[in-house]
Amino acid sequence: MATTKEKLITHVMKEEPVGSRNKVTVVGVGMVGMASAISVLMKELADEVALVDVMEDKLKGEAMDLQHGGLFLRTPKIVADKDYSVTAHSKVVVVTAGARQQEGESRLNLVQRNVNIFKFIIPNIVKYSPNCIILIVSNPVDILTYVAWKLSGFPKHRVIGSGTNLDSARFRFLMGERLNIHPSSCHGWIVGEHGDSSVPVWSGVNVAGVSLQKLNPEMGTDGDKEEWKAVHRKVVDGAYEVIKLKGYTSWAIGMSVADLVESILKNLRKVHPVSTLVQGMHGVKDEVFLSVPCVLGNSGLTDVVNMTLKPEEEKQLVKSAETLWDVQKELEL
Amino acid sequence: MATTQEKLISHVMKEEPVGSRNKVTVVGVGMVGMASAISILLKEMADEVALVDVMEDKLKGEAMDLQHGGLFLNTPKIVADKDYSVTANSKVVVVTAGARQQEGESRLNLVQRNVNIFKFIIPNIVKYSPDCIILVVSNPVDILTYVAWKLSGFPRHRVIGSGTNLDSARFRYLMGERLNIHPSSCHGWIVGEHGDSSVPVWSGVNVAGVSLKELNPEMGTDADKEDWKQVHKMVVDGAYEVIKLKGYTSWAIGLSVADLVQTILKNLRKVHPVSTLVQGMHGVKDEVFLSVPCVLGNSGLTDVVHMTLKPEEEQQLMKSAETLWGVQKELTL
Repeated sequence: MATTKEKLITHVMKEEPVGSRNKVTVVGVGMVGMASAISVLMKELADEVALVDVMEDKLKGEAMDLQHGGLFLRTPKIVADKDYSVTAHSKVVVVTAGARQQEGESRLNLVQRNVNIFKFIIPNIVKYSPNCIILIVSNPVDILTYVAWKLSGFPKHRVIGSGTNLDSARFRFLMGERLNIHPSSCHGWIVGEHGDSSVPVWSGVNVAGVSLQKLNPEMGTDGDKEEWKAVHRKVVDGAYEVIKLKGYTSWAIGMSVADLVESILKNLRKVHPVSTLVQGMHGVKDEVFLSVPCVLGNSGLTDVVNMTLKPEEEKQLVKSAETLWDVQKELEL
Repeated sequence: MATTQEKLISHVMKEEPVGSRNKVTVVGVGMVGMASAISILLKEMADEVALVDVMEDKLKGEAMDLQHGGLFLNTPKIVADKDYSVTANSKVVVVTAGARQQEGESRLNLVQRNVNIFKFIIPNIVKYSPDCIILVVSNPVDILTYVAWKLSGFPRHRVIGSGTNLDSARFRYLMGERLNIHPSSCHGWIVGEHGDSSVPVWSGVNVAGVSLKELNPEMGTDADKEDWKQVHKMVVDGAYEVIKLKGYTSWAIGLSVADLVQTILKNLRKVHPVSTLVQGMHGVKDEVFLSVPCVLGNSGLTDVVHMTLKPEEEQQLMKSAETLWGVQKELTL
């Protein structure tokens, strides 16, 4: 007796269906993971999204809630499981899992807890998607990108940290507010550590190629009447302030993750400030990851843009690298 | 001494700037409000989004988190305040504020708490956006749409309840899973109460105009071997299940709100199952709001599609109307 489906529809293809071609996995269904997921879904970047977490009910509930919105989306397959087999054949795996900063806590404090979590997560990702690109978001992102690189055995072009992509976005938003111009027309790069010691490259800050520091030579110094240095401070404090007000941050980081995933999946070769191995650059001697402007595409992080930094700026990068290396050398991997 | 801004940019327009033309306000920055906000932002339908709530820190934190993502968005103005003046001149005001269902609690139980909250919210909306369209999402949505209509003094075409737009989306998702077809090609309408007594109109369920009930005459009855009635049951239980697993629902309702707002702002005149005054239709005698297929556009809810319902289906609608009227007549407005 034919089912309703059989009476309605005739299947006419003998071969196996092709399967998903642009799969994105998000590891961790907390606020950052879900904001990343909804941004990736609404930007229609993937044909399949997989979610993984250890909290089974929360995971199932989040997946179900997204699936119920399927009518309004163009991502036909949304799957979720505690078991990593659900992540197989991903092009990009976004890792948001781990402890997050409590009010007033610095990102570096989270490190050992998150290393232990990564010892479970990273080998599982590699097992099911041996050719994927791993995008690390969990904090402290620069150290954890190093950890993910070591634990995965992947070449360095396939392990990327979200780094200062968000810091730079915050800077450009604040710059846009000051100048009454859309952030996408305000250019400014924050590099180095995603955290308290990030480095604003004042010489590059421009609109339409016009350097703001040339118009205002005191920019970035304490002598600046307009106190542009406060813009950078607001970026550094930005996350702490949002955490204090709403308990966590989610939307901005979620959108910045989708921005990176888009460049990768669509092979755009756009330049983003993301965290990569900077040993040998800018005087950095140790095996550390810091954010510099990088070209992203479907192979991953293929090129690094060489910045012309002032001596003070290079010193700051070297100092960040030393701070990070001090923490990294104590880790048990 | 010219500022950096003045050196960089010459303002060349003498007149006052025009101001926002497609402003959307979201009242309530809980999970549903924020999922609605992010969906509206990522679908780029507004040129200004305003958020209102009574919890000032949470409100400020959420607004800041969205603003920090400004680089990735095409909605240049995101504002927030406890004071409703921030909502002035909105085209659509989405009301998500109020108590939500706890695990196992029905939507009707929330009613008196939410009526009291509406007595503050609705007059404030009207004061600053006297020509707007109000979209009520808070539960029990059918009763609260009636309440908003009464408290606002608006004509009925400008007070709309999100109603069974989400129920129908969930139904079409589940139908799509059964048939292995995208939800947007699976057609099915759930009408009446957004809640336990919603009515699936089996005669309308189709793919490409082919009626499933004509292929399977038992569809929707207890005798149906394929138990399609179960699909409706999963819709009714859907919200409870997600709440039990993740604590609340957000993504699907947020996407469905953006779907409705899009139709209104873009004057699409699409037909959606939303909650409107149904007195005089389908045997309903009382002044109640229930979901029926309605045409939405930039004037609001201008037309209702008249369904040919079976006697049992009409009876269910009348019964829902009586249940809702039983609750409404006890309210102090």
